[in-house]
Amino acid sequence: MAKDVEPPVNPFAAHQLVLRERLYHLLATLHSALYADVAQALEGEGKLLSPSSTRLNPPDSQKPTFPAGVWPLLTLLVTQSISPGIDLLLVGNVAVAVECFVCALDLLDDVMDQDQTTTLQVLGTARTLNASLALLALSQKAILSLMQQDVAPSLILRLLEALQESTQVATAGQQRDLLAEQRPAQEFTREECIEIAAAKAGSIMRLACRLGALCAGADDALCEQFSEFGELLGIAHQLDNDCHDLYYLLQGSTSSLAPTEAGTSTRHVKSDLARGKKTLPIVLAAQMHNAALQKSSPPDDQEKEEYLRSLREGIVTTWGICLLYRERARDRLQEIETQKPVIPTLRLLLGFE
Amino acid sequence: MEEQMIQDFVHRASRDEELRKELASNPNAIITREGFSPRLARIIARLVPQLALDQSLEPSLYWWH
Repeated sequence: MAKDVEPPVNPFAAHQLVLRERLYHLLATLHSALYADVAQALEGEGKLLSPSSTRLNPPDSQKPTFPAGVWPLLTLLVTQSISPGIDLLLVGNVAVAVECFVCALDLLDDVMDQDQTTTLQVLGTARTLNASLALLALSQKAILSLMQQDVAPSLILRLLEALQESTQVATAGQQRDLLAEQRPAQEFTREECIEIAAAKAGSIMRLACRLGALCAGADDALCEQFSEFGELLGIAHQLDNDCHDLYYLLQGSTSSLAPTEAGTSTRHVKSDLARGKKTLPIVLAAQMHNAALQKSSPPDDQEKEEYLRSLREGIVTTWGICLLYRERARDRLQEIETQKPVIPTLRLLLGFE
Repeated sequence: MEEQMIQDFVHRASRDEELRKELASNPNAIITREGFSPRLARIIARLVPQLALDQSLEPSLYWWH
């Protein structure tokens, strides 16, 4: 008889508990007609209120272990790294502002990309958009609530300023991403793809780190170091997603990946190919296989094989560049740690053990 | 620029069977011969299974969601 396997200990459980309590407190201010929809969004995969937020994946899970609510956890742990004795109520409100902000943008992204997420399927487009708007308002409300905790108005303004700045950068990145759908992949450069990744995921992770540093009372230099660290991580995250989405699609439906058939390539949740998204692996593949993409006639078998080889090359290159940005983030963290080591829980969250 | 160096090396390895064989048999020697910085050498070493041995891409980091 097999021995019972002990479930893995969740090192973030206490932090998640604090954050969830703060989030429920914030949600309680919503009108009852809106509460369920916003809660539904915050219960999505990986979100703070998701059912997995109190446990990690089982040991035999195919997916690597990761905690739910990683965005607010990042903010909280950055703050605690700088200022270990920080008031949890204070940083908790700032951290859940990040969770609401990220969730709001995720909903908008899902609507724009027509991804068939559970939330979109349950709520439909109109209510999803309204939930997103409510979450954006909640993110501001969470920060404004610091006034009741006697936080200096100048700090509250700086936090709101960072939130506003991130919104502008992220929406500009989203706009470039949407417009890119109408342009041929051959027009794009590697640099442009990385710029878009920096504006989207990069700016959001930058915000999560910056708010944490600001909340801890870090000086301008340290705030900027943590902001840059977050941006590098965000770019790596985006490239990781882009190359793995395409890789798994390639593994699962190789026959539908020829360029002229991209529009019919399954109803994949992340249908980047079908929408004409110009992710880095696709752009790199186009650079390597320009002729096949420009042809209007159906490609023959040899051309299909050549295109698939270009896609595989684009995927491996993107994976390499993803690892490069992770390394750059790690280097930036080491620079930060010349002043003071970050707490082990933050390293654990980031996978920098 | 490091991004370009990664792109160039992956492209060469994808198109050059001899280089792939060398990478498969003695990756450290190739990485040293190419003169990569320590940071790039670490990254290229992680790409060797995909470049030379036709192995699956490493799983997503999934450290973020």
